[in-house]
Amino acid sequence: MADQIPLSMTVNGRTRRGLGEPRLTLADFLREQALCTGVHLGCEHGVCGSCTVMMDGQAVRSCLLFAVQADGADITTVEGLAPDEETLHPVQEAFRDCHGLQCGFCTPGFVISVAAFLEANPDPSDEEIRHGISGNLCRCTGYQGIVAATRQAAAVMKGNEQS
Amino acid sequence: MKPAPFEYHAPETVADVVGLLAEHGDDAKPLAGGQSLVPLLAMRLTRFEHIVDLNRVDELFGVSADNGGVRTGAMTRQAAVETDAAVADRVPLLHLATPHIGHFQIRNRGTIGGSIAHADPASEYPAVMLALDGVAEIASTSGTREVPAAEFFESTFMTAVAPDELLVALRFSAWDQPAGFAFDEIARRSGDFALAGAAVGIGTDADGRINRAAVGMLGVGPIPLRASSVEAALLGLAASEADPAEIGRLAADDMDPIGDVHASVDYRLQAGSTLVGRVLAEALAQVSTEAGNG
Amino acid sequence: MSQSAAAARYVGQSVKRLEDPRLVTGHGRYVDDIVLPGMLHAAFGRSDLARATITRLDTVEAEALDGVYAVYTGADLNSYNDSLRASLHSPESPAPPANMLAEGDVRFVGDPYVMVVAESRYIAEDALDLVEVEFEPLEAVVDYEIAAESEHHVHPELGGNLAHDLPVPNPATDEAFENAAHTITETWHQHRQTNVPMETRGIVASWQPHAGVMEVWASTQSPHELQLVGARVLGIGEHKMVVHFGDVGGGFGQKMFLGREDMAVLVVAKLLGSPVKWIEDRRENLLASNHARIEQMTVKMAVGEDGSFLAADLDQLEDDGAYPLGGPATPGAMATMLYPGPYRMGPVSWRARTVYTNTCGRGAYRGPWQMESVAREQMIDRVAREIGMDPLELRRRNVLRPEDLPYQVSTGLHFETTISPEQTLEQAAEMIGYDDFRAEQAAAREQGRYLGLGMALYIEPTSMGMGPLGTESAMLRVEVDGHVNVFMGTGSHGQSLETTIAQLVADELGVRPEDVTLHQGHGSGYGFGTGGSRSAVIAGSAARAAASGVRDKVVAIAAHLMEASADDLEVADGVISVKGTPAASMTMAQVAATAYQNSDALPPGTEAGLEHTARYKAPPSTHSNACHICTCELDPGTGKVTLLRYVVSEDCGVLINPMVVDGQIAGGVVQGIGGVLYEHAVYDESGNPLASTFLDYLLPTAAEVPDLECGHVVVPSDTPGGHKGTGEGGAIGAPPAIFNAVADALAPFGVYPNRQPLDPNAVLSLIASSPNS
Repeated sequence: MADQIPLSMTVNGRTRRGLGEPRLTLADFLREQALCTGVHLGCEHGVCGSCTVMMDGQAVRSCLLFAVQADGADITTVEGLAPDEETLHPVQEAFRDCHGLQCGFCTPGFVISVAAFLEANPDPSDEEIRHGISGNLCRCTGYQGIVAATRQAAAVMKGNEQS
Repeated sequence: MKPAPFEYHAPETVADVVGLLAEHGDDAKPLAGGQSLVPLLAMRLTRFEHIVDLNRVDELFGVSADNGGVRTGAMTRQAAVETDAAVADRVPLLHLATPHIGHFQIRNRGTIGGSIAHADPASEYPAVMLALDGVAEIASTSGTREVPAAEFFESTFMTAVAPDELLVALRFSAWDQPAGFAFDEIARRSGDFALAGAAVGIGTDADGRINRAAVGMLGVGPIPLRASSVEAALLGLAASEADPAEIGRLAADDMDPIGDVHASVDYRLQAGSTLVGRVLAEALAQVSTEAGNG
Repeated sequence: MSQSAAAARYVGQSVKRLEDPRLVTGHGRYVDDIVLPGMLHAAFGRSDLARATITRLDTVEAEALDGVYAVYTGADLNSYNDSLRASLHSPESPAPPANMLAEGDVRFVGDPYVMVVAESRYIAEDALDLVEVEFEPLEAVVDYEIAAESEHHVHPELGGNLAHDLPVPNPATDEAFENAAHTITETWHQHRQTNVPMETRGIVASWQPHAGVMEVWASTQSPHELQLVGARVLGIGEHKMVVHFGDVGGGFGQKMFLGREDMAVLVVAKLLGSPVKWIEDRRENLLASNHARIEQMTVKMAVGEDGSFLAADLDQLEDDGAYPLGGPATPGAMATMLYPGPYRMGPVSWRARTVYTNTCGRGAYRGPWQMESVAREQMIDRVAREIGMDPLELRRRNVLRPEDLPYQVSTGLHFETTISPEQTLEQAAEMIGYDDFRAEQAAAREQGRYLGLGMALYIEPTSMGMGPLGTESAMLRVEVDGHVNVFMGTGSHGQSLETTIAQLVADELGVRPEDVTLHQGHGSGYGFGTGGSRSAVIAGSAARAAASGVRDKVVAIAAHLMEASADDLEVADGVISVKGTPAASMTMAQVAATAYQNSDALPPGTEAGLEHTARYKAPPSTHSNACHICTCELDPGTGKVTLLRYVVSEDCGVLINPMVVDGQIAGGVVQGIGGVLYEHAVYDESGNPLASTFLDYLLPTAAEVPDLECGHVVVPSDTPGGHKGTGEGGAIGAPPAIFNAVADALAPFGVYPNRQPLDPNAVLSLIASSPNS
């Protein structure tokens, strides 16, 4: 067994320290040591997007990174988006309003992906939305509610920016 | 689905990387964006005793101007290539091909060098590199050498980069104007690897006669391929008069496809050459417009 | 329709889901989120060969690895064999040997033959690499079409590969065929697909020695099936089997029953005395959980000059794989029985067979007998082409009209007056703009563009009331502070029951939905769980009855305390008031506090407390119906099909939560899109699976899916509340509608597809085979 390496990163604004073999994936570190169980493992080979998190401001598959690679990085998981317990992030609110989730398993990855997508494309067309979110798989909703939620979140976030 | 153990190295210079590769040879593997390598490790379809992480080697990152063209460090993220103004301006084909790679989350990590060194015959950058006669800069403890695209791809997933070598950069030259470029592929779903794809560049003289034609193909052979029959047929024609569908059909002669679960050999030959014709049409239309504007 | 006591205040509203705040913020609790002190991790070693004898199996090196606690083979675990039977599987019917781990031989790629328990999943997988195993390959039975005749037997114990053969001849069809103007025959094929819940299967089991209690957390649709079968496997009573139900990431039928791995984890947790977790990885899920839809139906139809359906003869064959999940089943019998669907069909004869092969076992997948709609609706389009009639017109001539109801189907089914196939057909045709599309299609064909339209009309038996499926219970308790806990045997895994049950209870009891919490799993009364489109009708009716029982008591107590007549009181949003005099009121909390803490103040003879348990027994079947119509464009150069529009008109009776209903339809439709155009769990001829990752098993993404337009026809059912099941319908109607659309787009080429998937490769091959080319 390879040696355990000390790890330290910022997760949702707090420093999280841990210890892991080099092969420990970032997803497993976040779930097991940073206690962010909202990071879901749907395929562990980089296709389904359920484990998507923000690393230094960019949406990435946390199953395709080793925790040691994220040493010193700034990570945001789905748990870190809502400003407080009474308030949801506009993307989260939109997913609820538009029935963008059923079983909820893919949802954390979608929420992060949509938040990142809208940051880069604040005013997307429907076609851009459909392609923009095509890196995440959902088996329950048929994507209808997710597309609608992305539309709503775009409108709300744009409004927030203007006000 | 958890990877087997390995020893992790995070060098910060190319010199250190090639030193580690020289020391460990076949037992070591450079880790670039990890979007192809890590799934293989997780499924234990491949394993290495030493993983040499390139993500902290600053000198491997970035796009720079190079003799009118561009030089992209091997670790330049695909997302950075996608939005780079010099790339869009000087090497439009690279710019056009990039959004076809996976999804934006993949492109945030995936690198141009990783993609080219992995050399999946169905992936985008190798075909673009081949079409554009790009040049690979390859380093080892004995120095740096250059390999042109035509000699780079040896067989499926095998390139001119030896186990003790590192792909450090790719160079692409700009084309004379007027020129038109187009890229497209047939994929089962948004973001999937291509069943067949084409990267086309067409250049003409002042009279609108084609004096340069480059057609790279992906997904239709064990390695990325040039459609030389198509290129030969195009040279000397007036861009506005070439019949792309007719000429595109010649591409089948240059293909050497393999059948798999997603598409048969026949499918790739037939749909692939149809696609070449369509992409050709787009590039021809563009070069005609360019010529008209100029 | 039975009228419910209370006015609908929340039922019928798209109430925002009570589940969502935790789920959108990552605070759901799925089985992999459960961590217990001392918990160990299991991993299974699985066969790479479809059929082989195990000639050597040595686990010494694996056991010696640091961090490994135990390694088990079939010989260690299979003594529990007798107890693995699922609830729906009769002990009398022949079945494959029930083993947790393959012993002596392996029977499909993915067959587990060794199990490692270690301190982490990483180490468990390291140990699997150290297991030394040798196989002697045997010829595998892969093609189900010839499995019955094969000299090689998937299960030598059974002496043959034919699992079931149910012939139901009907001499009345002979005459119909003799006199028919047209007799048309085709064999329709579906192909191997799999459920693919985004959360794979998983279980955590923790044995409490001396207490004799097994505590379990699992990703399940049916906590009581787990409690019942788990207890049987362990040889303990159900009162010692504690099943916790948390969030479940989808199932679509896959999590109704225990898998062999689930049972092995239960047994091993007891043997080791340490908590054991097994989380299936995606490759295991694609290879070895369950597959479905590997079937074909040969249909011969007698059709009159005017297009009337006179008779049908059906021959259904389905692949059960090696170890069908939940035991061998006979969905083919249902598929043939349901074939007449929403049409006047005349006599039907049929035969349904199931065979074993050396492939992943069959299991229930959303609409497990939807082959009836696939074969019938594709056949109707074929008939229309053969006799030169528009497919909508042909359906109009044969569809069951209101005046035909009630209708006795020749296969034994009975349709009550509460179905509406004709109405949904017409609504869907109007939504899609049928005539306009036909004009657009004709114009497009002039320009060399190929558009197609497909439709499918069906009746779905939901909420079936027989055997273990027949009932659900609800235990409802108003707590001292007036909030409500409901305990039910359901297993909501995306169906939104926490919200919809709360809506029903809110109306019936007179509280707000957010005042109601649904508890599933431990502490609830027996029920079959969530699947089979059964929760709205069966669980919903139980919840209504429990709430109604408590409401009566609330009103009686309040009337006594307020010195008012019970008939003058109304209860809404947690307030009991005198009708017309809102100032005269008291709260649910005041009533509850009296019931529990001041019981001397209760009306004479009233039992203290505010709780009620009710169990609902469902009628044999509650039928919902729908019509799907979609349009597509086919690219003849690449064979790619793009869906343009998709409309559904559905009658699921009274909608509890329209947003949730539309969501269920959409999810099912997109599974149908996946099935026809993208997904294929294909094997090569040696039985090697070729789609064992998400790179090869292609779920549709948002980019492959059009906007879905839903219309509703509401004919209430005869059950309390007037609801009908709606969970599976989308996946029943979509495959034939999409198939028919592609076939329609291909019509100018003169080719007739009869099998899925219609992927680009298949479409281009069809075009290449065109007699016109």
